[in-house]
Amino acid sequence: MHPLLAHWRGLAAYLLAAALAGAALAALLAADELAAFGWALAWALPLTTVLAVVALSVYYPCRSQPFGTGRWPRALATRVAAVLLLGGAAVGLAAGWNAVGLPLGRPAGLVAMPAYGWTLFLLAGLGLFTLSVLAHDVLIAVEAAQAAVAREAQARLTARDMELQLLRLQIDPHFLFNSLNSISALTSFDPAAARAMAIDLAGFFRQTLALAGRERIRLEDELGLVEHYLAIEKQRLGDKLRTTVDAPADSLNALLPPLTLQPLAENALKHGLRLRDDGGTLQLQALVRDGWLHLAVRNPVPETPSREAGLGQGLRHLRERLAAQYGGRARVDWGPTPEGFAVEIALPFETTPP
Amino acid sequence: MTLRALIAEDETLARRLLLEYLKPHADIGVVAEADNGLDAARAITELKPDLVFLDIQMPKLTGLEVLELTGRRDGVIFTTAYDQHAMRAFELHAVDYLLKPFTQARFDAALERARKLLGQAQPGLDRLVVPQPLARVLVRDAEREGGMQVLAVDAIDYIEAQADYVAFHSAGREHLKAQRISELEAQLDPARFVRVHRSFIINLAALQGLEKTDSDAYVARMKNGKRIPVSRSGYDKLRSVL
Repeated sequence: MHPLLAHWRGLAAYLLAAALAGAALAALLAADELAAFGWALAWALPLTTVLAVVALSVYYPCRSQPFGTGRWPRALATRVAAVLLLGGAAVGLAAGWNAVGLPLGRPAGLVAMPAYGWTLFLLAGLGLFTLSVLAHDVLIAVEAAQAAVAREAQARLTARDMELQLLRLQIDPHFLFNSLNSISALTSFDPAAARAMAIDLAGFFRQTLALAGRERIRLEDELGLVEHYLAIEKQRLGDKLRTTVDAPADSLNALLPPLTLQPLAENALKHGLRLRDDGGTLQLQALVRDGWLHLAVRNPVPETPSREAGLGQGLRHLRERLAAQYGGRARVDWGPTPEGFAVEIALPFETTPP
Repeated sequence: MTLRALIAEDETLARRLLLEYLKPHADIGVVAEADNGLDAARAITELKPDLVFLDIQMPKLTGLEVLELTGRRDGVIFTTAYDQHAMRAFELHAVDYLLKPFTQARFDAALERARKLLGQAQPGLDRLVVPQPLARVLVRDAEREGGMQVLAVDAIDYIEAQADYVAFHSAGREHLKAQRISELEAQLDPARFVRVHRSFIINLAALQGLEKTDSDAYVARMKNGKRIPVSRSGYDKLRSVL
């Protein structure tokens, strides 16, 4: 379908312009005393309107044979043929419509058009159809460029989504095998703890798999995941790891993308608490204020900072991910604090999925 | 003969598991447990255990860094949960290692193998730990009694032999290490560290210039103002690299 047909306002403006051109043509004919203004209008107004619609039809040959695909002589020939055909048809249509005046008692038709007038009409028609072809070619080129941009953006989005899916499902093998080793150690002297740890491990992975595919989950579910994770780490690290979770009741229903907090807790342990002789307290905090959900993860860090690379990479990834999902309405900040290190997130407070 | 063993593991449960697996081996006594790499390095240096159960992923220093800094090349049994890089290196150099979680039978087999090689340097380990020339040294911490610290060789101005020790002079401070200066000289990059005297190695980056004394001998004037005697052969060595 022609793109103009989908835009009612554009189409109306276009037809109005055609009608005005018809009126102008009628005024011109009346000024040349070829017909009274009323008869001239009766001929020109429907004619220009119909020809304006006909001019839109060049869209189809232009689209089926766009320039720039290599076969330009054929594309050019098609356009020339279309313009000539339409020009001839326009003259035929004009003459036919003019003949309607004969039964109405006007011997020369609605308008007494002289021969040079028909020539001018043909030339004007050819010129206007040529303009129409050029305008459509420009339109098609712009459309193609926009489509290419949109396709590229879509491809990037898809690639990012797939990468995210993979990341979410990615199991940290180090965490898995060390946890299994801990369970193996516990079996001989504390079977109940071994069982509890196996169940926590299963719960953690099961929930990760269940939540990862969803776009948004409730904060309460995310915290449940984090608690499974921390229960396992507490078993591994012993009293080195202490945690406080402060999430008021009104924050628990807030929605957020899955696995927003859990990787931060993992980072806090890996680069912070784990490297300290006496461990420390991992603080998780949620707060709803003025339409925003504020989240914070705080942890102490070792005196000599971690030499491991990739410390900021996960955080930058989180920032990109949230920016993509909230269209710039999300903030992620991180940096050292007097107590160690903090990551703060602000998301629009939502309780129903977008 | 009782064998003395060190367990270097950062996780309590993992250490406990090793202790349990060691129980049937009455001839092995655990003399120390370390929960980070630095403590492990100190225990290896000071206690010289016959066997070391060494985790790869530990805070402060990795298992491989512990070997690099202590020069330990025998009686090491590696353990790791998952470290692709280390595992590839072990395979490449035919070094045995235990993948967590492991069975008692697998542990016994590794121990048996280690027993046979007891006291012999494992050539695979030498190739595995190849930071030659030396990039860092493990020294006594001047501020904490019994503490250890890692010093980058770039930060060293000069090294002085003192009886059974070498003293590393770095940023106005002195760090001691029990080592012979000739052994150290062999490990350092000869293009950057020159033994200018029986008792001195200098870092060329910290050298200001050479001065001639009245008695036709030379002294090296360091950037920190310190003057270090240069022997005749030391002068020749300096001339050849400068």
